[in-house]
Amino acid sequence: MFSIIFTWLIVAWGALSCIYMLRCAWSRFPKRDVDVDDVIPFLYPVDISLAESLLDPATEFEFRWKLGPPQFREAQRKRMRLFLELTRRMAHNSKVLVEYADSEKNRQDPRRASLASTLQEKAIEVRLYSLLTGIKLRFWLLLRTDIWNAKPVLAHLRTAGEIDGLQTYSALKVAAAAAFMQLPPDELDSLTRNL
Amino acid sequence: MIFLTYIPLGLLALLLWTLVRKSAYKAVPCFFAYTAFAVAADVTRFLVHNHRHPYYAAYWFTEAGYDLLGILVMYEVLRTVLGNLTRAWWARLIFPAVLVAGVGISLARADVVPSRLGGLLFYIVVGEIAVRFVQVFVFAGLVTLVPLLGLRWRQYPFGVATGFGLYATVMLLTTTKFSDFGTRFKFLWGVTSLVAYSLAVLIWIWFFSVPQKAETPGSELSAPSPGDLKQYKDALRRMR
Repeated sequence: MFSIIFTWLIVAWGALSCIYMLRCAWSRFPKRDVDVDDVIPFLYPVDISLAESLLDPATEFEFRWKLGPPQFREAQRKRMRLFLELTRRMAHNSKVLVEYADSEKNRQDPRRASLASTLQEKAIEVRLYSLLTGIKLRFWLLLRTDIWNAKPVLAHLRTAGEIDGLQTYSALKVAAAAAFMQLPPDELDSLTRNL
Repeated sequence: MIFLTYIPLGLLALLLWTLVRKSAYKAVPCFFAYTAFAVAADVTRFLVHNHRHPYYAAYWFTEAGYDLLGILVMYEVLRTVLGNLTRAWWARLIFPAVLVAGVGISLARADVVPSRLGGLLFYIVVGEIAVRFVQVFVFAGLVTLVPLLGLRWRQYPFGVATGFGLYATVMLLTTTKFSDFGTRFKFLWGVTSLVAYSLAVLIWIWFFSVPQKAETPGSELSAPSPGDLKQYKDALRRMR
């Protein structure tokens, strides 16, 4: 009985995927060519020092030490929401950069294509990290795991899927600086501020 | 009518030619082997279709070959896609997990819907259904993953997964209905399988007729000029 139900579920999943692909093919895989003007204004600033402090085990220990259990739980939930917002911004920025890198990879200049490849690789890693961390954070916030005395430790979110989130985001910034090297200094400044 | 059943052979020959022309055998060697095998298998079946026993032997032998190569192709697709995404240790467990799930569901299904076949033929059919499950898992998993990570579909492994995914979904659907309706459904099952496989081959031809965006080899790159390097260092300094 279960095998029949599983079979139908898998067939339904496959059929939905086929419909999605048909829709993509119908719209000819619509992906516009993204240029520099479509990148900088669309980036959300990510405060890496804030993320560092949120993931710092010493800071968390200090909170735990200074606050009573209910206050700590409340503070921890606030910190989780804050980190979730940061990962959302990281995911958004990396998506914008993946699209830009995709367009850049079409260029004839091998150096620009190579820089775009590195940028895309880092952006996908950041997106994977943000996705895994976001799932974990939402799960913690939704199930209120803190109530059941299983206190979530934010410092454990530094790595997800063996990707060090902050290190990879810094690498993404370096890759972006290299890929946008041809920009005039003021635009490069905006990029560095927004990323 | 017999010639209609060999439409996929013509399409497969066209696909093989496209793969050779685009040198795609370097990017997807297992899929190239699968296509070459499929052409050879269909030619053999065509040559012996008037001789009952040789056809029977050729049919089941090539079906077993399709099972084996189908699994290898799915391994190649997952290895290429996941290898580019993550170096995490658990990524290596995804393919064995999908394979175990496929074989498990196929065996459970064989228990519920008993087959008239016995011995080796039974295992070939179980293996075939397991491969279909694996193909749907991989395809549907990629369809879920690609929009999440913002990847582009126009890449060879995604094209391979799409063709197999479409064919496997239709085949699982018709095979499940076949077990409900019995032999009355045989003609429709044959036609559906022919159309679905031809569509899958057309999808592969479409994907492989457009060159994949090649990764730029590092050895061909020229060193950045001192001016570029200074600009780059300035940018990094401003970032910190």
